[in-house]
Amino acid sequence: MNAKRTMTLNLTDAEMSALEQMAVAKDLTKTGVLRQALKLYQLIDARIASGEKVFVENALTKEKAELAIL
Amino acid sequence: MSSLIGTVKLRETATNAGVVAEVYDGVDQSHLANWQTKWKPIIEATRLRLEQQGAKSALPQSSHWEWDKKAAHFQNLLAYRMFVVVCQGDTQGLMAVATDPRHRTRVADDKGRTGLGLAYVDYLESAPWNRPEHVAQPRFRGVGSILIATAVQLSLDESFKGRVGLHSLPQSEDFYRTNIGMADLGPDNTYANFPLRYFEMTEIAARAFIQGGKNEIESQ
Repeated sequence: MNAKRTMTLNLTDAEMSALEQMAVAKDLTKTGVLRQALKLYQLIDARIASGEKVFVENALTKEKAELAIL
Repeated sequence: MSSLIGTVKLRETATNAGVVAEVYDGVDQSHLANWQTKWKPIIEATRLRLEQQGAKSALPQSSHWEWDKKAAHFQNLLAYRMFVVVCQGDTQGLMAVATDPRHRTRVADDKGRTGLGLAYVDYLESAPWNRPEHVAQPRFRGVGSILIATAVQLSLDESFKGRVGLHSLPQSEDFYRTNIGMADLGPDNTYANFPLRYFEMTEIAARAFIQGGKNEIESQ
């Protein structure tokens, strides 16, 4: 639907390994994983920029902790 | 910014003829102006009529949606895409879809996996003149199906293999269950403050839906 542009990405072995594992686990291409990551990063960044905080919650204990984002 | 992605045919109920419509990726001011000046007066008239009849609960549950505010919020976020169906110069339907990893499959695929990416239809609304809650004879049929087909196409484009999910307003549940053929997973108690039912289209169901042929979008 949207025209796409190509770039070269240099990753360490560990980063590439993590990317490959995520791609298998999520049934996505490596590009698909990176696009997902970018969308989520931008979404969180926008909410923090508007003064909100992001928390993670333990499903069992309901304990919440703020997720620090750089 | 809005770009034409293809054409479709809507069914004009008065003549039963197929009428060419355009599908756009992105909402622009002309689409929103049409919503503001043509949709809202009809919605407001229905609201007044139903209030006078003491049947306010019959008002379409999407009537309070402010598409201009949604567009302003979503337009700068990669996580969201908006789509528009236009026919005979009028905005016939609007949809906002999220494709970020907050939304994941709940129905297991053929390998037993859940938690995979999908296109999540956040909002979908057909113009009031296409809905029997507003007018005695709806103008066009097929807008909702075309928008769901567009969500399936987006899902394919995002490598989600056609998977689509959504929470349905109660008045639309039968449409998603019967007309679209989505799996009904029941009320979702984790959804906001009210348990809307969650519906999902699997990869296999998406293939069947598209191969049904009625909703094919001819690419530009």
